[in-house]
Amino acid sequence: MLDLAQRPDVGDVFDEFFADATTPRPNYVRLAQTLAAVEPDALVSGVRAINAALLRRGVTFTVYAESTGTERIFPFDPIPRIFSHAEWQRIAKGVEQRVRALNAFLCDVYHEARILREGRIPRELVYSSDLFAREMLGVRVLHDVYIHVSGIDLIRDETGTARVLEDNVRTPSGISYVLENRDVLKRTFPQLFDGYHIEPVDDYPLRLLRTLREAAPAGAREPNVIVLTPGIYNSAYYEHAMLARSMGVPLAEGRDLIVVDNLVYLRTTRGLQRVDVVYRRIDDDFLDPLYFRGDSTLGVAGFMNAYRAGNVGLANAIGTGIADDKALYRFVPEMIRFYLREEPLLDNVETLDCSDPASRRHVIDNLERLVVKRTNGSGGFGMLIGPASTATQRAEFARLIDADPRSYIAQPVIQLSSHPTLADGVLAPRRIDLRPFALYGKTVDVPPAALTRVALREGSLVVNSSQGGGSKDTWVLAAQDNRA
Amino acid sequence: MLSRHAEAFFWLSRNVERAETVARVLDVTYTRSMDQYAGGTWAERSWRTAIAIATFTHPAAVRLGTRAATDALARCVFDAENPSSIVSCIGTARGNAIGLRSELSTEVWEHINELYLDVRAESADSIREGSPSRFLRRVRDRCQAIAGVSAATLLREDGWYFMQLGRFLERGSLEARILSTAESLDDPWPEWQRMLEMSSASFPFAQAATHLQSARDATAFLVFNATFPRSLAFCANEVEAALHRISGSPGGSYGDDAEKQAGRLCASLNFANADDLVAEGLHPFVRRILTTIESLIAAIQSVYFPRVPVVAPALLHSDALAG
Repeated sequence: MLDLAQRPDVGDVFDEFFADATTPRPNYVRLAQTLAAVEPDALVSGVRAINAALLRRGVTFTVYAESTGTERIFPFDPIPRIFSHAEWQRIAKGVEQRVRALNAFLCDVYHEARILREGRIPRELVYSSDLFAREMLGVRVLHDVYIHVSGIDLIRDETGTARVLEDNVRTPSGISYVLENRDVLKRTFPQLFDGYHIEPVDDYPLRLLRTLREAAPAGAREPNVIVLTPGIYNSAYYEHAMLARSMGVPLAEGRDLIVVDNLVYLRTTRGLQRVDVVYRRIDDDFLDPLYFRGDSTLGVAGFMNAYRAGNVGLANAIGTGIADDKALYRFVPEMIRFYLREEPLLDNVETLDCSDPASRRHVIDNLERLVVKRTNGSGGFGMLIGPASTATQRAEFARLIDADPRSYIAQPVIQLSSHPTLADGVLAPRRIDLRPFALYGKTVDVPPAALTRVALREGSLVVNSSQGGGSKDTWVLAAQDNRA
Repeated sequence: MLSRHAEAFFWLSRNVERAETVARVLDVTYTRSMDQYAGGTWAERSWRTAIAIATFTHPAAVRLGTRAATDALARCVFDAENPSSIVSCIGTARGNAIGLRSELSTEVWEHINELYLDVRAESADSIREGSPSRFLRRVRDRCQAIAGVSAATLLREDGWYFMQLGRFLERGSLEARILSTAESLDDPWPEWQRMLEMSSASFPFAQAATHLQSARDATAFLVFNATFPRSLAFCANEVEAALHRISGSPGGSYGDDAEKQAGRLCASLNFANADDLVAEGLHPFVRRILTTIESLIAAIQSVYFPRVPVVAPALLHSDALAG
């Protein structure tokens, strides 16, 4: 018998599973019944088998911070997270709205810059960002779409309200875990699915391919799509390979490409083959050594010219990073009002901008109560979690912030919601977040395939794969499920 | 198919083939060293031969420590510095397989990855504690399983034919090396029996033989037999067929350098017999075959995996630099 009744370790944490001390929320009633009949040993040995299978199948990522560059799996937790149909619809609509606004912002900021001229966003915040790509000023991108693929990170605060923690509109990863998690959970614990009717996730590659084909130049009738990877040493290489394979398109590296007369080609055993759309999983800086980093061998010389000539679709566009610069995050609700004339469906988290002197003073004086993030950081690196920090770390961050205030923002510590998770053979409350993915082709598609990450360490608020996080299968109940 | 992927298929199967043969050569030597080769100069000579095949050196150039078996296993199985050791071959095969994740079937990838994880978990000590032979056979079996699932799951497109190229070129050159360790065409029985076992040929040879067997018959079988899948002739014909499938040119035509070299190799084997072998002498003959195989590999490299500069020269003068 599994004891489901363990509650979060601190007050003021939203419990995803239980409505009160003993009653599961409607989505979870059936799962609670099933779990009550499961032997803990069966769960533990099943998970051990799953993690071994993931290693054998090479579903791994590489941790750069460790000098050995070891391959590790992203640990899998068998207790699924469940959204009702209506709840998911709300989130999906909010994500869609946000992505449309961010895309409109990119289109604006690289052309007329109305939002800056009308003073809604301070222009120095944009032009001081190293994520602003001057090369893209005045460049018309195909179909005006910049953010073909995005991942919007959401958390649930103390009241259960979903809030956006950050936007990832460059090359977000994680979808491969969504697909793998569903697959392994079905094979290992089929009984958990009893009595549920949930949305499938395995049409994601098809939806992605449709979006990518829609990004092709107008003339391409059967567009040739490729996935561009930095190569086998990249931490997300497995995902690149999996997506290429399941879409049935070539997985290329920069050295497989050549640009001739502003057209992009693949080098094949049968000569050069034209490329219409590049789904790139490498950063802007490495795309074209003639424009960006001259020492890079990951991209292809001449690519930028082909792109500017409109001869090749690129997902995502160059320069999208300015839209997920953390210093601009607090203006996203304003972007939604400005471009879409709508009220934001998803709230932000309160954010302090260190480049403002008064806020900076407040941040430095209250470091032990705040989370500080680098504006261009990701992966949970370069951040300070105040309550868990040492005096030395706080002093270091105070110095860093004073030296370069534009590069830091601060947020109150949000108590992420908690969800029963298998830990040391028992179910214990652990903190989770959510990354839904949005696909932007002719329209914005938010597939019911989201990644739930879980902080496996007790009390930890950090869910990143590189820092002790794991993941859960995430279910969206189908419209016809009676709990919807 | 991307040229890079084609090359990875080629090296992937070459390395799996090499790991399989090295495992078999060591296993044959190890098990024979327990009875007829036990002790004395026989044992030393047999380990010297095994290391020579596995490390691509001449038997006379092999230095041996006092504990020949231990030394040989360390060098040919676990030495990461030796590119032909089993760990190196499997590591290289897996490296190529990772580069082919988008191209390989799940089954092929998982078999390769499992073999890699298995070998990496062992050490010279751990296999000595168990049974070296059991380990070596497991490696051999898993390599054969990789070839089997490849045949069962891969599309018969370029990737498969580049695998065939790598497999049969490697198999042919290893077979030639095994043959080169014979002293002469009149070796005593244990010697030619050893060559047959190292080539998985004792049973097929016995089936094919019509009279009392000799070293000369065994050698001719390993060189010329058209139906035995490890003979030099068989390997050469498979290589030529794969090249024609890749280029699309009909058999009997020789469009590029690779096809010409393959044609030359096939001619040396298809249009000769045991008498020609005796006339030329075993060692000169094998040396000639090995030289032809090397030129063929070089030709395949330059036809299908050309090393081209990253920046096309024309671009250096375009307006690309103006931005």
